[in-house]
Formats: sequence, structure tokens, C-alpha cells
Amino acid sequence: MKSYYYTILLGLLLVACGGNKKPDMAEVETSLAAEDPGLPEISAENIEAILASIPSPLELSSHIQEAGIAYNAGYLNSTDNYENYQTSNKKALNLGIYGTDLGYTNLYSQVQDGLDYLSVVHKLSDDLNIGHFFDFESLKRLTDNNANLDSLLMITNQNFDRINNHFVEQNKASLSSLLLTGGWLEALHITNQVALTQMQNEDLRERIGEQKIVLDNIILLLTVYSEHDKQIAELLNDIKKLEKAYENVNITYKYEESTSKVVDGVLEITSNSTSEVHITDEDINKIAAAVEEVRNKIIS
Amino acid sequence: MSEEILIALIRLFAVISKQDGGVTEGEREYVLAFFRQQLGHNDIDKYIAMYDTYSGYGQQKKTGTTTLEDSLQALKVSKKINQTLTQRQKVIAIIESIALINSDDHLTEHELTVLNTVTAVFNIPDKTVNLLRQFVTGEALQAFNHNNALIAGHQIRERTDALFLELAISGQLTFIYEQATDLYFVKYEGEEDLTLNGMTIVPRKSYLFSVGSIIKLPRGQTIYFSDIISRFSRTRVKDKISFVATNLEFRFPKSDNGVKKINIQESEGQLIGIMGASGSGKTTLLKLLAGILPPNSGSVKLNGTNIAVLDKHTEGSIGYVPQDDILFEELTVYQNMFFNARLSVSDKTDEEIDRIIDKSLKNLGLEHTKDLKVGNVMAQTISGGQRKRLNIALELTRQPPVLFVDEPTSGLSSRDSENVIDLLKELTLLGKLVFVVIHQPSSDIYKMFDKVIIMDTGGYPIFYGNPIEAISYFKNISQQLDHSKAICEACGNVNPEQIFDIIEAKVVDEFGNFSDKRKITPEKWYEYYNQKLTPPVVEEVKKPPANAFRIPPRLKQFSIFLQRDVLSKIADKQYMLVNFLEAPVLALILAFVIKYKNSPGGEYVFLYNDNIPAYLLMSIIVALFLGMSVSAEEIIKDRKLRAREQFLHLSKTSYLLSKVAILFSLSAFQIITFVVIGNAILEIKQMTWTFWLILFSTATFANILGLNISSAFKSAITVYIIIPIILIPQMILSGLLFSFDKLNDNIVAKGTVPLAGDIMASRWALEALAVDMYKNNPYEYPLFAADSRKHNANYKSAYWTKELRQKVNFVANNFIYKDAEISRNVDDALLTIKNELQQEPFKGGLAGVHLDTLLAREAISPRTLLVLHTYLKDAEAHYIKEATAAQTKIDKIIAFLESSDQYEYDAARFKKLYFNENLETLVRNTNTRNRIIEIGNRFIRKIDLIYFEPAKPANPLNYRTHMYAPQKYFLGIKFDTFWFNMGVIWSMTFILYLTLYFDIFEKIVARRWFKR
Repeated sequence: MKSYYYTILLGLLLVACGGNKKPDMAEVETSLAAEDPGLPEISAENIEAILASIPSPLELSSHIQEAGIAYNAGYLNSTDNYENYQTSNKKALNLGIYGTDLGYTNLYSQVQDGLDYLSVVHKLSDDLNIGHFFDFESLKRLTDNNANLDSLLMITNQNFDRINNHFVEQNKASLSSLLLTGGWLEALHITNQVALTQMQNEDLRERIGEQKIVLDNIILLLTVYSEHDKQIAELLNDIKKLEKAYENVNITYKYEESTSKVVDGVLEITSNSTSEVHITDEDINKIAAAVEEVRNKIIS
Repeated sequence: MSEEILIALIRLFAVISKQDGGVTEGEREYVLAFFRQQLGHNDIDKYIAMYDTYSGYGQQKKTGTTTLEDSLQALKVSKKINQTLTQRQKVIAIIESIALINSDDHLTEHELTVLNTVTAVFNIPDKTVNLLRQFVTGEALQAFNHNNALIAGHQIRERTDALFLELAISGQLTFIYEQATDLYFVKYEGEEDLTLNGMTIVPRKSYLFSVGSIIKLPRGQTIYFSDIISRFSRTRVKDKISFVATNLEFRFPKSDNGVKKINIQESEGQLIGIMGASGSGKTTLLKLLAGILPPNSGSVKLNGTNIAVLDKHTEGSIGYVPQDDILFEELTVYQNMFFNARLSVSDKTDEEIDRIIDKSLKNLGLEHTKDLKVGNVMAQTISGGQRKRLNIALELTRQPPVLFVDEPTSGLSSRDSENVIDLLKELTLLGKLVFVVIHQPSSDIYKMFDKVIIMDTGGYPIFYGNPIEAISYFKNISQQLDHSKAICEACGNVNPEQIFDIIEAKVVDEFGNFSDKRKITPEKWYEYYNQKLTPPVVEEVKKPPANAFRIPPRLKQFSIFLQRDVLSKIADKQYMLVNFLEAPVLALILAFVIKYKNSPGGEYVFLYNDNIPAYLLMSIIVALFLGMSVSAEEIIKDRKLRAREQFLHLSKTSYLLSKVAILFSLSAFQIITFVVIGNAILEIKQMTWTFWLILFSTATFANILGLNISSAFKSAITVYIIIPIILIPQMILSGLLFSFDKLNDNIVAKGTVPLAGDIMASRWALEALAVDMYKNNPYEYPLFAADSRKHNANYKSAYWTKELRQKVNFVANNFIYKDAEISRNVDDALLTIKNELQQEPFKGGLAGVHLDTLLAREAISPRTLLVLHTYLKDAEAHYIKEATAAQTKIDKIIAFLESSDQYEYDAARFKKLYFNENLETLVRNTNTRNRIIEIGNRFIRKIDLIYFEPAKPANPLNYRTHMYAPQKYFLGIKFDTFWFNMGVIWSMTFILYLTLYFDIFEKIVARRWFKR
């Protein structure tokens, strides 16, 4: 009888023990100190210039609404993935993605989904210490009231400048780039998905083609940080695969003199230059696949 | 009679009775009668058949069978029997065998040869065989002498050396005493109806005269076992003792009750009865005499030594058997005796103890109950009389020369009562002095006393002397006529009730009704007592009384207590089962019910289970509950036993520590089963030891608390009613159900846990568990330092600077006004600003600035405000930078750990496995609306409590912090919360042990509730 009890006790002890060792933090500190590469040397003006050339994701998605395609939550990054993002880089990338998704739900007045996305955006921005740049109360009200896209656009654009400034000040300018990259990538992804169902929609095809220029800028931007940040280097590698998908896309500019006329005593200048995008169905398929691949890696 | 012995006897009978031409009808009839007597009619056919087979009954007698052949067969059978029977059983078998072969009234040569063979194998000396033969057959073998035989009857004229006893019966009773085995037998030859223990005695048949046997004679006379053995034991040596109580007096505090002045002197070999109505102070007198109660005046001396100051050699000379049982119900009779012996005669070896126990069980007629569980009054396995005898046996182990027995007959049948008193009488024959409190003895019992002390209401002794004389004494005084006829002549009975009738006789009023007034008051009786009775005087014995009492050293006592308790718990199967299954079953129910699947994918993910904080609290409550319920009855159960052990000067520490050791082991086991099962179901990984250590500490706290309650209250029911009163505050003030910030104003404390919470073990346990589980889980552990930095900086930039800015703005808007109230408010704001800035490590533009001068209300100027605003802006920027740097650090640590081959760290996966969202909400307090509050001109932080390291307090004894602080200072040393809180719980446990040791709760309860 006694030995029986001992066996139970021993069994319990064995169950109770058996752990995985915790990292020795002193050792971790030493390793970290050894590999600290410092910060990239690039002027804030240059970065800002590049950032400014990247369109807001919401601008891209406004074309989607015009295409008259029904709302599809399947295009979006599930809010459940929130816990997968543990580092600032990932958080920034996915904050961009969720921001775009929030805009998409707003386009279609999907209040419940919108609130879900607002909540993860809130959490991620808090995690990144930029929560105070958002007025979540107003955003929530906007989402709730199906307010128009314009207000959202304005708030977002204004905020982005302030956030960017903040990151630059904190020597974390790379996060601004990642935020934008994520937002842009998600917008492109959604556009792709919509375009795939409406291959004949010229407007969307053109928009997708145009992104070749943005892609170049993004690659330029990420290259700056890739030397100092392994994770960004990895991301850059993935993004560069998009270049290949875009290689057959051609954009030609036709320059024409701008015209000016006086209307009600005010001088108005109209640009007459146009660009023409050459993009095939095959290109779109290739681009959509490549974007999806990169995106999947980011959101997982 | 066991089957084994019966079969042995059948074979023996068969061999013996088949001698001399086979079994005769007479012999067979004898055997059949024997079976009937032993078995009733149930199995009798089976045994008869067996007997017939062995004896060859009904078969043709084989010719040529020789004596030698029969002897060989007898040899074979008896050798076989030899191994199964004890010596006493063998003697009984022999006496039965002699009776069998004598059933035809003669013994042949052949039969004797076989008998001799058997007795030789059994190793029974010839002297004994002759004694038994003479007793059974009446042959003149000259075996009787005054040490082994007694013949009782009227005018016996027999030519033997036996003892004689004059008895008014026809015929004669013969008793023999077989010394080697300590057995008595009786036989009656005559025509009258005698009964032995209620059974009619068949003339000329031998009976075993066992301990406590009673023979009733036709004219109401009784022969007790003690009457007979007293004849045989005349010659035994007795130690002389003198027991002298002089002017003994006792009064209960604030009461007239007690015992009035009494003198008692006695020597060895007396049985003294203390009688009286309820409330007459019988038990009090007994306790005074035994030295359990200290007298107000007077002394009790045993052989010249005051019993209050008995030294090492004489303590234990006094035996005291309380009215209540002092037995372990779950242990066997033998085990009860054994542990008692180990504790009171510790210098004896186990073999010696074994012998002592066997002997005393034999002497008390308890040998056949040796391996029976004592059981309780409800589920009896041994009878009430046996229980009482066992209680007495326990005291006798250390052979005290003086024995005090309180109400040994209460609740016993009249036969059991007589039996018990007879046993005490027998002890006096061995030289002991025995005092017995007895409420209302029967006439038979009354006559057995050598002396009686009669007490009257209010503690007045009113008689001390011979019991038979008592009746005439009282009658004499009350002037009744028939005072000379003390004994009822017709029935041979004295009626002790008469005495009480006389003592308490009431005055009859004019209507012929009895009034409440007594004819003779207790005071008057006491006066008579003092006038008319002279107490006996005994010669003081100088030699200290001998006894076998030796108590073991404390450590040894501890181990004996431990063994005793463990054995008695293991013997209680139900108790063991319930206690071992309770924890796992609770874990199963709790964990199963709250295993909440809240994750997006529908599978169970620990991260998303909202119930984890509640699980922590419930685990703590379970630990408290288990801990208390196992301990709550422990001391109540042992209360009487403890009184006795205290009387024997056995160590209280040893006793308590043995309890503690058992309870702690049980709790350790219960908690580990609870934690392993509960945590396994809820998938709480890597936290088993954290949980076990804290919950076990909590359970031990509850154990000791339970023991305290158990020792403070008198009944188990009270204790179980008390448990909720103790447990529910533990729930209320644990800090989880109700936030410490949102309690009654009288309780709540500024920014720290209120004192009411600090006295709750649950709060310390909850904090320790929550903090450790949050800080040290495999996900958070590497990040905690950097996380702290980040959130602390965040607090400063997001809340602290903003709140200060508001203060500065208030000053800016109001400092110019001269209004008294506004000035006061401005002063107030300035004080807050000053307090905060003094404590602040970031100095910025304020470095070297004297704050008292800067912030004096009179000195405030726009410049001051500019300085402050600039400072706040700098501070905000500083802390934003700090937070970002910390975040960078976190990113780097994660990146490093994830890329390193040395660790299997994966932030996203680890977080889901080891981190809990709701626990985070709890310890960071992110649900609070007021993240910073102002109390007493200080800002108090309410957010991210787990990261908020308390400052080193000025007073090293100040342990108080906010709930979920990651570290705590005490005595100037920084402790991890987990270990600090565990220290607190164990300190509480230790303090409770002290209150238990000094019976503090018991004293409080006694004073409060039972105040007279």
C-alpha cells in the first residue's frame, strides 16, 4: 500500500518537473550588445520625400468601390492574427495592413467588422506607443455612423504625418516605412483580388500597373534600412520578388503643355500629361500571386 | 471458539475417546453436549460427522490395535495441535479431555497412557495434570493446596490442604487456580440452583472461571471473581503506600461550589467509593486528590511527597481514568495499548511492552479483543464494558500505586458495571489504592467498596468510612428506628438509595406535600461529619512509591504520536479515500467548467481563457478549504486524550508538531494532485511549482488556522459553522472579487493594499501567483525588464507629465488672486508639484534648482511657469524616447532569441501557450478609468501595476505596497514578490502556531462567551 502511494507521488513529481530552460538574460544582454549595428545614415528630408510619393492606401481602395464589387471579408487580414505580431517591425507592417482593412470595411459600411479592425488598430498603435496620435473616440464614432470616407481619409493622412515625425524623432523612421509598406501592400492586394473577378475593368488594371512606380520607391526606402535590420532585409528580399512580376508592365508618359485659363478672376492650371499603362491578364495574375505570397508571410 | 481450535479439539477428543474398545455412547454424548454448548445448533452436524470419522464411531473395532499404536496416533495428533493452541487453550483442552474420558466415571490404564502422551507433548507438568485430574474426577491425588485450590461450602470437612470458605449453600463449590497459565476453574457439587454469569451451573461439570465472572447463590448472595482471587493472592507482596490529604479545600472562582475542607488518609489495597448527588463535587474531589486540580488550601501527600511537586521518579505514581473514553477509535485494542505503553513506559523494549500488554489484556479479560478495532460508541466492535476496562488498562500499564477512576459505570449495563468494579477490586488485592467516583451504585457494587466518601450538594463531605456503617450512621442521625438493621435480612441487599433518601429528605408542608426545603441541610450534615466522624490515620511511608512510568524524550514522543496518528488515519478507509480524492475531483470540476474556448480558431488557447484570474482565486479558496477541513476536527477529537497526556506531562510541542507533520504531508499531497490535474486541464504550463509552493503554503496556513479553531471550540459542529466566517472574508478581501480601490472608506488605503487585506492569506497568495505567473512565464520572462522600462516611461510621458501640466496651468491661472481659498488651492497644487518633482529622477532644466524657493507661492512669476513648462516638455520627450528605446530593446531580444539555436523561443507561439490576456488586464490594471490619482499631494499610479516598482520605504519595517507590485522592500532588502509573499504566509502560519501553542484563541473564546 505504502509503495503504491510513493509511486503516485513520484509520478506527480515527474509530471511537475520537466521544463524548458529560461534564457539566461545576462547572456542575452551580452550577445545583443555585440551585434548592435547602430543607425542608418540618411537624412530625414530624403526619407520624407520618398514617403510622400507613396499614395495613401485609402486612395487606392476608393477605386474598388467604384468598381461596384460586393464586400468580401475574405480579402482582409483576420483580426485574430493580432497576437502573431510581437516585434515592432511586424506590428508596424500589420498596423498598415489593418489600417487599410479598416478603410475597406468603412467603404462598404460594415460597422461590426469596422469596429473589430478599429480595435486591433487601437491595440497595435498602443503597442507602438503611437496610440496618442489617434483619436479613437472620434474614429469609433465615424465607424459607427457610417461617416463618409473623406473624413476618415483626412484624419488618416494628417495622422500619418505626425506619426512619421514622431518615428523620425525617435530614430525609428524605419517603422514609418513599414507602416506605409503594409498599408500599400494590403491595398494592392485587395485591388488585385477585385481585379481578378473583373478582368475587363480598365481602371483597376491601370491602378495595378501604376504601382510599379510605387514599388520602386518602396524598394528604395527599404534598402536604406535593410543593412541595419535583418527583418527588414528579409522583407526587402520578398518585396523584390514583386519586381519580377512587374517586369513586363510598361508605363509610358505622354507629355503635353499644361493649359491655363482665368475662371472668375482666378488662374487655373490644368495638367494635360497622361500616362499609359500596358498590362496583360497574365501580368495581373502574376502580380496578384506575388503580392499574396509576400502578404501571407507578413500577416502570419 | 475459533474453527482451528475446534478442529484440534475434535481430533484430540477422537483419539482419546476411541481407546479401550472404541467410542462409548457416554463419551460420544459428552462430546455432543460439548459441541452443543460451544456451537449452538448451527454447524453441529458437520463437526459431529468430523468427530465420528476421526474416532471411527460405528465401525467395527479393529482387532490387534495396541496401546502403543494408539499412543503413537495420540502423539501425532497432539504434536499437530501443539502448534495451533496457546498454553492456556491447551490447559482448557486437557481439562475437557479429562472430563471426556471420565464421562464413564473411571479412567482406565489405557486412557491414562494416552492422556500422559498428550500432556507430555503439550508440555504440561505432572503437578498441573494431577491438579486438573483431582478437580475433575475427585480422585484423592493430594494435588490440592492452599495456593491452588479453594473449597467453599457449609461446614466443609475434607482432608485436603485446600483453602476453605464458609458459605451458606448445600454441597460445595470447588475452585482451582492454575498458576502457570493464570486460569481459574470452578465446579459445583450439590443440588441448589447456582448461576455462573447468568447460566445455570450443571453440577459436577467443570467451568472456566474467567476474569470478572460472577456466581449468584440462591439467597441473593454473590461471589465475585475478586472474592476468589483475593483468597489466593493473600500471600502476594504489596508495596506499602500512604496517601494523605490534609485540610483539602477548593472553590471554583466566583462561585460557592467546590469541595469543603476534607481530610483523607488511606493505605494500600483499598477500594474507596466517592458518592453523591449531581453537583456535589465528586469529580472535583477526585481531581483534587489526583493532583489535576490545584487545591485552594491543603495538600495531598503520597508517601510523604506532595503530589503537586512530584519529581522525576515519583511522577506517574498516580493513575487517572476520566469518565470519557481516551481511546483511538480507529486503532485496535492492542495498538491503543501499545502506543500508550511506548509513551508511558519508554524504557521497556518492544518485546517487554508486548509482554506487558498481553498480560494486562489477559488480566482484564480482553485478550480475545486484542486485534479488534475499538470503534466508536455508534459503531461498536467492543462492548461498553470492554471499552471501560481498556481505559483502565491504559492507566495500569505504568503500574501506578494509586488509581483514580471517574464514573466507570456510567452508561454500562448492571453486569458490565459489576464486572468493572470487580476488576478495580481485584487491583486493590494487588496492593493498589483505588478511588472511584460513582453516581448511584447498585447494592452489589456498594458492598464491594472498602470505604465510601459521601458528598452532599455544594461540595460538603458528609460521610467517610465503611459502606455498611454508612447506612446506620445516617439512619441514626435521622432517628429512624431500624438503624441497626443495615443489611436487608431477607434479601442480603443493602440499599445505597436509602442513604440518599435520608440525606435529601424533604420537609413536608401542612398540606402533606414535599417542599423544596431539606430536613437536614448539607451544612448541617457537614457539621455532623466534623463532630461525629474521626478520619482514619495511617502511618506515613517514607519509601517513594514505585511505578514503571518513564516518558520518552520529545523527539521520540513526536515519532510515537506521528505513528499513532498515521496508523489511525490509514485505518479509516473512508477518511483516506475522501481526502485523497477530494482535491483531484475539485480540480477536475473547476478546471473542466472554466475551460473557456475564446480563441478565434475555436480551439482552446490558454492566452484567451478569460477565467484564469478566477481560477487562481478558486485554487486558493480550495487550498484554504482543504487545509481547514482536514485540520478542523483534529484537536477536538483528541481533547480528552490531550488532557490525559498533559496529566502525564507528555510534550505539547511533540503532540502539535506530529499533527502539523501529518497535516502538512496530507496538504502537500492534496495540493499537488489539485495543481497537476487543474493545470493540465487548463493547459497552464511551466507553473506547477509556482502553484504548488503558494497553494501548499496557503493550505498549511489553513491547517494551523484549523487547529487553532479546533482547539478553541468545544464541538465539531461549532467548528464547521466557524469555517465560513473565516473563509468568506478571505474571498472578499483577496483583491480579486472586489478591487482594493473600491472598498468602504474606512477600509481602503491610499495607493496600497488595505490592512484588512493584508491580514488575509488569500491576498498574499493571489498576488504571489498572479505576479509570478505574469513575470516568469516563458514568454514574458526575457522581456520583463525591457517591458517595465517601456511601461514606466510610458506612464511618465502619457499620464504623469500631463497631470503635472494641469497643476502648473492651475497655478498659472490662479496665482495672482489673493482670495484665501484660492491661495490655499494654489499652495496645494504647488505642494503636489514640489513633491512630485522632488521624487523625479529626470531633472532636465531643473537640475540644481532649489524647489522650495522656485515653488513658493509668493515667488511664482511667468518665468517660473516657463521653467516648469519647459521642464515638462523635456520630461515628456525624454520619456517618449525612453519608451521607444525600451521597445527597440524588446524587438532585439525577441529577434535574438528567435534566431538563436540555443533557445526554442518563438514570441507568437509562446505567448499563446504561456501568457494570459485576462491575467495581464488584472496585473496591469488596464481596465481602470483613473490611471493616475492624487491623494495627499502625491500622484498615485494606478496603471501597469505589475511594472511599477515601489520605492524603498524610509521605514525598513514598512512592507506595504500596491497590489501586484513586482518587488517589495523589507528591512531594506529587495525581495521578489513571490518569495516575499510566501514569507508572509509562512510567518502567519508561524504566528498561528504560537497562538495554538499558547491556546490564545481558546482563552479568548472562554473569556468572552462563557463568562459567568
